[in-house]
Amino acid sequence: MLETAFFYMFGGMSVLSGMGVVLARNTMHSVMFLIFCFFNASGLFFLLDAEFLGIILILIYVGAVMVLFMFVIMMLEVNAAKLREGFLQYLPLGGMIAVVLMIEFIAASSSGVFAESAMGAVTHMGQEVNNTKEIGQILYTRYLLGFEIAAIILLVALIGAVVLTIRERKDAKYQNMSAQVKVRREDRVRKVSM
Amino acid sequence: MANVTFPFPFPDHLITLMPEMIVAIMAMFLLLFDVFVAKGSKTTAYLAIATTVAAGVATWSLQGPDPLVAFYGFFVFDSFAVFSKFLIYVATALGMILSLEYMKNEKHIGEYYVLMLFAMLGMMLMVSSNNFVTMYLGLELMALCVYVLVAYQREVLRANEAALKYFILGALSSGMLLYGITFLYGVTGSFDFAVMGEKLAHAEGDATAAVMLGMVFLIAGLGFKVSMAPFHMWTPDAYEGAPTPVTAFMSVAPKVAGFVIFMRIVADLLPALQHEYQSILIGVAVLTIAVGNLAAIAQRNIKRMLAYSTVGHVGFIMMGLIAGSPAGFSGILVYLSIYLVMTMGVFAVIILMRREGIQGELLDDFAGLSKVRPGYALAMGLFMFSMAGIPFLGGFWAKYVVFMAAVEAGHLYLVLYALLFSAVGAFYYLRVVKYIYFDEERVAFNFIESRPMQATVFVTAVTIVFLGLFPDALFELCRQALVGLV
Repeated sequence: MLETAFFYMFGGMSVLSGMGVVLARNTMHSVMFLIFCFFNASGLFFLLDAEFLGIILILIYVGAVMVLFMFVIMMLEVNAAKLREGFLQYLPLGGMIAVVLMIEFIAASSSGVFAESAMGAVTHMGQEVNNTKEIGQILYTRYLLGFEIAAIILLVALIGAVVLTIRERKDAKYQNMSAQVKVRREDRVRKVSM
Repeated sequence: MANVTFPFPFPDHLITLMPEMIVAIMAMFLLLFDVFVAKGSKTTAYLAIATTVAAGVATWSLQGPDPLVAFYGFFVFDSFAVFSKFLIYVATALGMILSLEYMKNEKHIGEYYVLMLFAMLGMMLMVSSNNFVTMYLGLELMALCVYVLVAYQREVLRANEAALKYFILGALSSGMLLYGITFLYGVTGSFDFAVMGEKLAHAEGDATAAVMLGMVFLIAGLGFKVSMAPFHMWTPDAYEGAPTPVTAFMSVAPKVAGFVIFMRIVADLLPALQHEYQSILIGVAVLTIAVGNLAAIAQRNIKRMLAYSTVGHVGFIMMGLIAGSPAGFSGILVYLSIYLVMTMGVFAVIILMRREGIQGELLDDFAGLSKVRPGYALAMGLFMFSMAGIPFLGGFWAKYVVFMAAVEAGHLYLVLYALLFSAVGAFYYLRVVKYIYFDEERVAFNFIESRPMQATVFVTAVTIVFLGLFPDALFELCRQALVGLV
């Protein structure tokens, strides 16, 4: 009973905040709504006993990705009024896509594939099953090689990003270490007779 | 698949990955080492070349009659992997040798060799994979490195354009590949080629549609990587825009890795669907051979011409896949080995011809080469004759083995078609020879003097002639490499 109540709370909130993302006039508010939406989705994961996914969603999406989003939006200086131009022009195509999607959703959800009887009962694993530990164990044993290769891919992405963007600007200020080390007292201190 | 034990069985597993670990550690070491090296020094480059040699020695010392398996079956080390790894080592080492002079004026050159080593690592993992996890990760590791290598000369506009096109289409093809894999995983519940192949043989009802869809996307995704038509669009642009040594590297090594994976998939994953994939591959091969050989005629830039020639060669190599027999597979390995030698030799000559302002890339630039440098002219002539498939040079035997395998498998008409286009292809190869020997010099030649590159030209030319006269040793080597697979 309590679980169902929480489900409707998290689910309803994430739908509302999802709408908020689209409808907010200020882009910054959209980002905030999206963060709120992620928190609620994380709550849904907790209800399904997937605490690892719930935590990861908050850590990575809220903690890293959305912060990056915020930086990008702040730097882009999006003009909301300009974006809304041509709303009517795109309405027929956008509306059509929305209607088709709606029909698809209704058809799929009423077809019986997702009926409660077809899904199997949801049972809780109980406290002794710790899926963070389970994921960790399989990731660092059976999938260890893949995990290590993924780490190297990230390293390559890092190297690639630096290689492609590094610029030696003439007006930038650099530290010349050998000059700093070689410096003598006479270069810096001057004796003045008062 | 072996049982998961915890803690990890330490030394047994890691010894199998010795070559990979040497490459990974050396690449990371060079990344740090390069910071302390004076600008313009070639120490990093020579250490990188030494790393490929060290990996080769490690691979040689590990090989034995029985295939080794590590990481719970996610990594295999069989004779097939050993042979293809050696092809990859040679291609990478030659690519690095070709870069020595060409890239020496770049500001940050250390990362160039590091990325090449990581690309090689990705390909080594690819050819050692018998499952989609290792294969896909290896593929992405290689692809990411090559995207950056193509864009390495940032101030060159066409390099940026090429890299962007290559990146976007490459990302698209990765998406298609993954989409295909999800379907096959959904039906079989496994990533292991052999286990999946077993289950696919018994797929029924709704599952067959999913299997077909998955297979088509899988072939399309891999087709992008080895530039089969109609997925070859990125090839000419990427080849033209990339620094020439990178073009040489990427026209050989990723193709080797791609075809090795293709062979493993065809042999382990899709044996039950031979009829279906064969008809797809025949259609693609017909298109690839035509596009490659016809479009190459219209090119004035030799790098673009060689790009289309690669597409043509890929079409011929596919005949071995279509044959699907041990003879076809060993034919593919023979073709890839000879193609490696020819391509590296051609690109070495092209790079040697680089001069102020002009990079020796237009076909006209070769005019009169025979009078100035008869040695290079002879080597270039040999490579062109070999690529055209003139008898008693290496290229002839490469075509001979795959065509014979296809005839034996009953694809006579396809072989006749391929022979026809092979004759069309001879036109544009021989046109280069015509420029070299029968035209007057237009611009003064100014060659790079580099011993390692001259040695590359010499060795590749001699190898092509030698393989043309005594191909049997290579045939036997390729046949033995396939012992475990088919």
